[in-house]
Amino acid sequence: MKQLFKKKMMKELEKEAAKQDTQGNTGQEQDNYLNDHGWEILFKKSHDFKKTFYVNQKTGKKFCFSFITTLIDESILQNNALPYLLERDFKYIEDVKKLIPIADVQISERNEDIEKKLFNGYVLLTLEGEEKCFAFIAAQKEIVRNVAQPEVEFSVIGPKESFVESMDQNLNLIRKRVPVKELIIENYTVGTLSHSGVAILYIDGITNTDNVDTVRQRIKEIEFDEITDSSYIVQLISDNENSPFPQLLDTERPDRVAAILAEGKVAILVDGSPHALIGPTTLVEFFGSFEDYFLNYLLSSFFRLVRLFAVAFSILITPIYVAALSYHYELIPKDLLSTLITSRREIPLPPILEALFLELTIELLREAGARLPTKVGQTIGIVGGIVIGTASVEAGLTSNVLLIIVALAALASFTTPVYRMGNTIRLLRFPFLFFAELWGLLGIVISFSFLLTHLIRLTSLGRPFLEPLYPPRITDFKDAIIRLPFKKQSLRPQYLRTENPVRFSKEKAKEKKDIDE
Amino acid sequence: MSQQPVPERLQISPFLVLYLIMSMQIGIGVLGYQRIIAEAAGYDAWISVLGAGLSIHIIIWMIYKICGTVDGDIVAANAYVFGKKIGNLVSSFFIIYLLIFALAVLRTFIEVIQVWMFPELSIFWFSLVFLILAVYIVFGGFRTVTGIAFFCIVLPSYLLLTFSFALKYADFRNLLPIFDHSAKDLITSAYKMSLTYIGFEIPLFFYPFIKDAPKSQKWAHLGVFLTTIIYTILAIVTFTYFSEDQLAKSIWATLEMWKIVSMPFVERFEYIGIANWNLIILPNICIALWGSSMILKRAFKLRQKKGVIILALFCLIAINFFDTRAKINFLNDWTGKIGFGVTYLYIPFLFIATMIVKKVKNK
Repeated sequence: MKQLFKKKMMKELEKEAAKQDTQGNTGQEQDNYLNDHGWEILFKKSHDFKKTFYVNQKTGKKFCFSFITTLIDESILQNNALPYLLERDFKYIEDVKKLIPIADVQISERNEDIEKKLFNGYVLLTLEGEEKCFAFIAAQKEIVRNVAQPEVEFSVIGPKESFVESMDQNLNLIRKRVPVKELIIENYTVGTLSHSGVAILYIDGITNTDNVDTVRQRIKEIEFDEITDSSYIVQLISDNENSPFPQLLDTERPDRVAAILAEGKVAILVDGSPHALIGPTTLVEFFGSFEDYFLNYLLSSFFRLVRLFAVAFSILITPIYVAALSYHYELIPKDLLSTLITSRREIPLPPILEALFLELTIELLREAGARLPTKVGQTIGIVGGIVIGTASVEAGLTSNVLLIIVALAALASFTTPVYRMGNTIRLLRFPFLFFAELWGLLGIVISFSFLLTHLIRLTSLGRPFLEPLYPPRITDFKDAIIRLPFKKQSLRPQYLRTENPVRFSKEKAKEKKDIDE
Repeated sequence: MSQQPVPERLQISPFLVLYLIMSMQIGIGVLGYQRIIAEAAGYDAWISVLGAGLSIHIIIWMIYKICGTVDGDIVAANAYVFGKKIGNLVSSFFIIYLLIFALAVLRTFIEVIQVWMFPELSIFWFSLVFLILAVYIVFGGFRTVTGIAFFCIVLPSYLLLTFSFALKYADFRNLLPIFDHSAKDLITSAYKMSLTYIGFEIPLFFYPFIKDAPKSQKWAHLGVFLTTIIYTILAIVTFTYFSEDQLAKSIWATLEMWKIVSMPFVERFEYIGIANWNLIILPNICIALWGSSMILKRAFKLRQKKGVIILALFCLIAINFFDTRAKINFLNDWTGKIGFGVTYLYIPFLFIATMIVKKVKNK
């Protein structure tokens, strides 16, 4: 009954408002509560903007809700706000805080707040007689994806959570793993259109304040309209944007973020992105999978070495093939040479074209596979890999030795645990190929020198990217190319210049026993 | 002319001086010094190598004394001794010295490539790419130059092992009898090592860029010592591998020893060796370019970015004039001679002069 009555009254009120709209509201704007306000004009163009009037039963005062229907949960309004406001003694706007059982209610007089609040899922409440004042009632609709398994950084052992698009949810996952007051979360808004929330996380008393300042300053200086993902932030704040190398590590694992915070690094979270950013980082960190920490140190060291070898192999093997067959066939021992010659006997193309043809085929397969839905993608992979590969060998376009080499190189490039780095590795091969064709082995060494120089010059948040290789720091090798046991990891990485370099007391951890004790 | 202190973020750790000195010393000389030193002292020449190497330590000590006294680099030292104007004039001579050094290294390396790998290699295009690489490195600042020096010692260090293949055919009786040459022969031999040994004088140029510079002295000594050991061992291996008559015909004895290397997957190892030598050459050029442009900046207030490009362009043009074996030999001979003059005549002179000026100023 009550509901029906309300609706009726509302309709009447709306009609009245409409009437006055047509009459034009010159002069009467101030005294007529039901009229449109200046700020509403643009809002009203969108169909999901809604404005409803009500009358309080005790005081007879009119009040009004304005909100974006698509952003708020109307049941919160219906159950937790409306009944109280209609039935209780509601005289002044200040009363809202006492009347309704919602914690997040803010009173403001600033017109500038309206847009921001409405689009953050707040309901705007105005009261007749106090038009200059607004109350904002939080009623956000939460459309949250469930926490799923990590897909890019999957690990067989270890936690199975990954970040989602909601920043609150992500912060919750991290807070649970580092439940100390020293974990500081700073919030910034970036993007003139997207108003994306960006959070900087660090542990006070461990993380170097210079590093935090660098991140803070660079995030404040971002000039961009629409920040859709953390990948935008990476490119906007990285030290050298012309480098193919990613200079901040991205991860989708909350456990990894917790671990690096403890090391003294800074994490950046972006609202709407399921990937956190980590900095400062180093080149070798990109070849360490987080699963390395879940395995025994012997195994993880071995796997890291395998990965590094795979990367070197992946970049160098095709250029070496081209160099050796174009210029330095004397380099190849007799027995091996005969195998190569047999496989290349009928090939009309010079080695460089042969190699480029196969490398580009692999890139095509990868691109096609990445753009198609999973099931079709797999089919394309099989068709492309087997059919094109075999057919091109049989047709005499490429040698089967090169086919094996290129396939292995592609496989090796996929062993890099960080997806971004894998892409970089695949790109690097082409300049090497070009120089190998130009000057053989000498060309490979020259392109390697260029790469080396680039890496030496690169920094991540101002810290050297190639550390601990250069500047050489022996203590940091404990968790770089190999990983030593946790007992040996009593110090935080040196290049981070942490404020508290000691992770745990070494003396307590070290208790050596003699035989038969 | 006191120098602005270099900010700490641009400085390098003292122990990196080891790599800088080694990478500057090891260059093209080592590819064929064995024949040249054996001309005078025969197979006793390894003693000269060792002796010359030990005498360098005195010069290193002097360099650190000079730099420590004026608390700056060569420009500061010259200004301290001669006054600003004449000092700068003397300093600018070092620009020429470093440029000739870079030219000799690059041109000789190109010659090695032309003889051993690509007879048709274009001097101009290869130098162009090489110098672009060098300029790119120098643009990264002194820390990048040091990084290249570090990697270019560490990465090709495996090449030392490849000389063990020659040991299989070594005949140590070649060295006997020891000491059958006069002291004069030995000294002539040691003098002929100049081209191979020079490069250790570079702390004069980057002294202000070392953190705790006086602490780096022991690393400088260690670097020179390691180079001496490597050269001596290599000389002994070469002398035992080649007969004296054979060595007299081997212009690049070091490269020829690689011919014996054979592994299941690699024949003709010298291709890999020469390609790798590119890495060893690289810091020579970079440090020379960095040092000379630094002097330009300090003495003539020319922006280093401009200076490097101008000097690199000069190298690129000048290198085309050395097109015959005779001219290259001439260039190398003179680089050795100038290097000897700078290190064994000028530095002791500067040392004594600095000490005198210091005494006078203290009074």
